[in-house]
Amino acid sequence: MSGHDPNSPRHLKHYFHDVNQQYETSKFAMWAFILTEVLTFAGLFVAYIVYRSWYPDMFIDAHKLLDVNKGLMNTIVLITSSLTMALAIWAIQKNNRKLSVLMLVATFLFAFVFLGIKYLEYSHKFEVGQLPGEFYSYMGPDAVHLNNPHIFFSIYFIMTGLHGLHVAIGMGLIAWLIYSTYKGNLTSEYYTPMEMIGIFWHLVDLIWIYLFPLFYLIG
Amino acid sequence: MSEHHITPLRTYLIIAATLLFLSGVTVWVSYVDLGALNIVVAMLVATLKASLVAFFFMHLLWDDKKNLTMFLMSLMFFGIFVTITLLDTEFRGDLGLNPETKDPINKRAAFYDTLPLTDTHGHPVDEHSDDHHEDKDHH
Repeated sequence: MSGHDPNSPRHLKHYFHDVNQQYETSKFAMWAFILTEVLTFAGLFVAYIVYRSWYPDMFIDAHKLLDVNKGLMNTIVLITSSLTMALAIWAIQKNNRKLSVLMLVATFLFAFVFLGIKYLEYSHKFEVGQLPGEFYSYMGPDAVHLNNPHIFFSIYFIMTGLHGLHVAIGMGLIAWLIYSTYKGNLTSEYYTPMEMIGIFWHLVDLIWIYLFPLFYLIG
Repeated sequence: MSEHHITPLRTYLIIAATLLFLSGVTVWVSYVDLGALNIVVAMLVATLKASLVAFFFMHLLWDDKKNLTMFLMSLMFFGIFVTITLLDTEFRGDLGLNPETKDPINKRAAFYDTLPLTDTHGHPVDEHSDDHHEDKDHH
């Protein structure tokens, strides 16, 4: 602390002019991070587009091996968790700490449910051998005619896997938010971390919004 | 920081309800056979949902426009990425350079031991016919 103004808020770093500049800078940096996140997934979306254009029939048939109900359930769970995350920020802006903590806990639980459903899907695929690359061994009657179904499952596992990793990281961040908010470290005066993690969490929702129709609802 | 925009609770609830409704729509429409239009409709609905999330939940609507610019730039670079890659992958074989591109590519996968190789249309492919394949494309 340079102590340029003894009345400045505790959370204001000395190298910022005022709290608003600090907040806006954090937010802009967060969006720069979101840009790198979008580009990370972009590579995988390009892989999806290229292989789907090479094997259009295989993609349509292979997607029938996925469970639409579980995919839809996860969509509903994730959208609801996005809402509770937004409400947590709304509550802290209104200085309602208790409601904010409650909404963060709800978000955390929805994230847990999402990963639980994902676990059920994955374990079934491991059981029957619908696995990526050379590990693929599924020979059911609905798959014997497929040409290169292991490519579909390579892309499916990498994209949903990286997305699932984001959900898991998001859960860790939200757990930390629950602690900080409960302790009173975040208030209506200073809730920047919650706003930033909120943006991250909505990005996770946003990517799933595309993954859901691209894998579960083809043709 | 009282100057921050506080989105009304009603807005959040309406957006969430719309998102859930659109999720239902996209599932329903996937069971209607629209041919090639299915993917177009699915992506339009997804983009509408993504816009609602970005503008309302991520607060881009009320933010300084530099944040929106950053986000749109990521989408622009994605567009460039897709376009340039497809200019390659979609036209391989037109020059007879890589006629084997679309053949099964991982012959080590376990299930190939028991499965006859097929081309993209599901027709059987002879594993040792690589020479003929090249001949055809060169003439």
